Amino acid sequence: MSEEAVRVITEEPSDASSRRSAQTSSRRSSRRSTRRSVERKPKQDQTIYGLGVLAIVIAVGIYLAAAVSAVMGIFWVTGIAFGFILRRTNFCFTASMRDPIMTGSTSLTKAVLIAFAITSIGFVAIQYGSATAGLPVPGMGFVVPISFATAAGAFLFGIGMVLAGGCASGTLMRIGEGYGMQLLSIVFFVFGSFWAARDMGWWTLNFISNGPVIHLPAVFGWGGAIFVQLLIIGLLYIAADKWETRKQEQES
Amino acid sequence: MAEYELDCLGEACPIPLVKTENKLKELEIGDTLIVIIDHSCALKNVPEWARKHKHEVEVEEIGDGEYEIFIDKTA
Repeated sequence: MSEEAVRVITEEPSDASSRRSAQTSSRRSSRRSTRRSVERKPKQDQTIYGLGVLAIVIAVGIYLAAAVSAVMGIFWVTGIAFGFILRRTNFCFTASMRDPIMTGSTSLTKAVLIAFAITSIGFVAIQYGSATAGLPVPGMGFVVPISFATAAGAFLFGIGMVLAGGCASGTLMRIGEGYGMQLLSIVFFVFGSFWAARDMGWWTLNFISNGPVIHLPAVFGWGGAIFVQLLIIGLLYIAADKWETRKQEQES
Repeated sequence: MAEYELDCLGEACPIPLVKTENKLKELEIGDTLIVIIDHSCALKNVPEWARKHKHEVEVEEIGDGEYEIFIDKTA
């Protein structure tokens, strides 16, 4: 995993700055305390709330697994884990697409590519397992045609997520964090989704139904499919790495 | 060694970064810019951008979910 991407940023960072902070800490701390001591509220210890929330999470998880269904319990746990990781690592799908252009940083782009590589292996393992056991291959309902609609939707989504400051997961995560502005984002996200659902018939008729349906294992075989997929992800990773170096050289 | 404050509370990523870039251009070498943010994304990309441009960076959490990023302009 890219260390850059998963590092928890709130911790005091790199060596250079901590060495420096040692040099200037006296100046800094005195200045900071005088500057802000009046207006700054003392930070409240939230450990007890954290433990409370953890207890509720576990209780709801047990209830869902026992009274609703095991799958709901798994959704609950993976959802919470997903949100926690997004929050603590500042992982952001929006930034992974935006920062290469805006700042030349591709650390999150590489993190997303690694995540894709890991899930690809997982998907292939699950689908291959079902196929060899003679069971129906799970997830085939999500193998949908590629068409102009894919590109058009991706472009619109890209504009939207940069303006809104987050994609779906980022917006939800920041609402959980207590970031009020994203509440506005989610309202219009839902509104936009309804609108898209309304127009879906037109898109399906004119573009989506004409597109080719490609399931890589059907083309390359199971081993070939994962090889091709990982090869493409690997090439993108190298490209992202080179892009960052190039942008940095350009600017300095 | 002047000190400037940039209040980016309530501003979503990437606005704090754009504002920081523009403000930092106006500063003299040796000046300090304090960017106040509460968007977790800016907590990543503002320090990362500043460090890449060889500035000295420190981050301090001043409240729950509110951070001050100290950037000493060195280049």
